[in-house]
Amino acid sequence: MTKTGMIDFRGVNKWFGALNVLRDITLSVEPREVVVVCGPSGSGKSTLIRCINGLETIRDGDLVVDGQRLGDPATNMTRLRTEIGFVFQSFNLYPHKTALENVTLAPIHVRKIPRAEAEQAGRELLAKVGLADKVDAYPAQLSGGQQQRVAIARCLGMRPKIMLFDEPTSALDPEMISEVLDVMVAVAEEGMTMMVVTHEMGFARKVAQRVVFMDAGAIVESGTPDEFFSHPKTDRSRAFLSKILRH
Amino acid sequence: MLENFSFRTIVEYLPLFGQGLVTTVWLSLISFAGALAVGIVLSAMNLQRGWLFRVPAKAYIDAVRATPLLAQLYFLYFGLPRLGFVLPELVVGILALSLNSGAYVAEIIRAGILSIPRGQVEAGVASGMTYVQRMRLVILPQAFKVTIPPLLGQAIVLVKDSALLSLISVAELTRAGQLLASDRFMPAEGFITIAAFYLLLYYCLKGLAALSGRWLGLQPARSST
Ligand SMILES: Nc1ncnc2c1ncn2[C@@H]1O[C@H](COP(=O)(O)OP(=O)(O)OP(=O)(O)O)[C@@H](O)[C@H]1O
Ligand SMILES: [Mg+2]
Repeated sequence: MTKTGMIDFRGVNKWFGALNVLRDITLSVEPREVVVVCGPSGSGKSTLIRCINGLETIRDGDLVVDGQRLGDPATNMTRLRTEIGFVFQSFNLYPHKTALENVTLAPIHVRKIPRAEAEQAGRELLAKVGLADKVDAYPAQLSGGQQQRVAIARCLGMRPKIMLFDEPTSALDPEMISEVLDVMVAVAEEGMTMMVVTHEMGFARKVAQRVVFMDAGAIVESGTPDEFFSHPKTDRSRAFLSKILRH
Repeated sequence: MLENFSFRTIVEYLPLFGQGLVTTVWLSLISFAGALAVGIVLSAMNLQRGWLFRVPAKAYIDAVRATPLLAQLYFLYFGLPRLGFVLPELVVGILALSLNSGAYVAEIIRAGILSIPRGQVEAGVASGMTYVQRMRLVILPQAFKVTIPPLLGQAIVLVKDSALLSLISVAELTRAGQLLASDRFMPAEGFITIAAFYLLLYYCLKGLAALSGRWLGLQPARSST
């Protein structure tokens, strides 16, 4: 019997028209594991993690998430998505809702948690990401780093089993990056299963069990952060690392 | 010329103008409510991915926008009785205005919905919302704000278009002007007076648009992405 991870890619392929964006991806993420995905622009990192919650659909191969095969008629995708938090590069907070409302919207309407209970939990989560005083602020009144922390709290409000991050700090000013990374480290240390697209080496070294390097739609290399950053095995990963280390 | 201009006759006819104004206002209100209903249904059909609803909606919108309102009005006024529906003029008029304006409202609503960034839809999808939840909780409240100013613009157009109902003898504002013009042979007095009343209605709606703009401005702007 093959062992099943929390997220299991088996021979996954995807095309955008003639472009083979994901090439024969095989990757298994264990429960509580933190996997960092890196690679050059256009290598398919976003597409890879967007497939996991069905924001993109795969063409062939198997993708099993939390024991449910995507594309299977028996899989309730809407239900499965409630178990998967997704943090976007551009935050995508609801601009017409306050920070607290952003956090409680899906718990109230999707999870059907009573409002008072959801608000209590929402306040605690916002306090946890350091925004206890911004509960009633609208997204436009928050800095990028604060918005991204609200976005993380919004995902946590659903009590997900998996959290996916797509370059969560690359739209941020440098001085705001660490406040977001600190929150992500805290989430990782609580045992969340995470896949994080990022080039933040410090974060990878601190909490990731594995770094996956992608190029041109394929996983070219994978190893522990130390193996990957200190002893990259392929020319392509060496070339990539020399580029991100230069600045 | 001015010495021939009879303010006395205008004053004499004021009650008639008043009635016409009131009729214009309420038939416009009802027609606009109808146009909103038609527009919401049409835009919902038009936003579907499948062609089954989208194609008829698009065909209807094109047909309305490509033909004169007067032709549409006559089509209903003379055509419906032929099909066995004999309706009062006023009802035919309101129907025509609703069906006509509804096509424009549909396009305004669709543009408003499409102006909401894709990331908003994705955030809703990713948190497990259904299509209906996403629309109700995320997209429509934001689109609503964007559509208010152009909708009030459409309301102004509708009020002016309602003048055409005078041609099927609905006793609205323009009809009152026509009566003065034909009874007393005073077209200048008749039509200047109704022009003044239309201007009044125009400024009321413009004021409303400005107010709603200020009210909407109070809400914080969309977050930068
Ligand atoms: N909706 C789409 N339609 C067509 N092509 C797409 C679409 N989305 C992505 N692509 C293409 O697929 C490839 C992989 O895109 P993807 O966004 O996954 O890359 P990435 O590794 O996340 O890059 P980046 O670091 O720039 O975010 C790119 O060549 C991109 O242009
Ligand atoms: Mg990307």
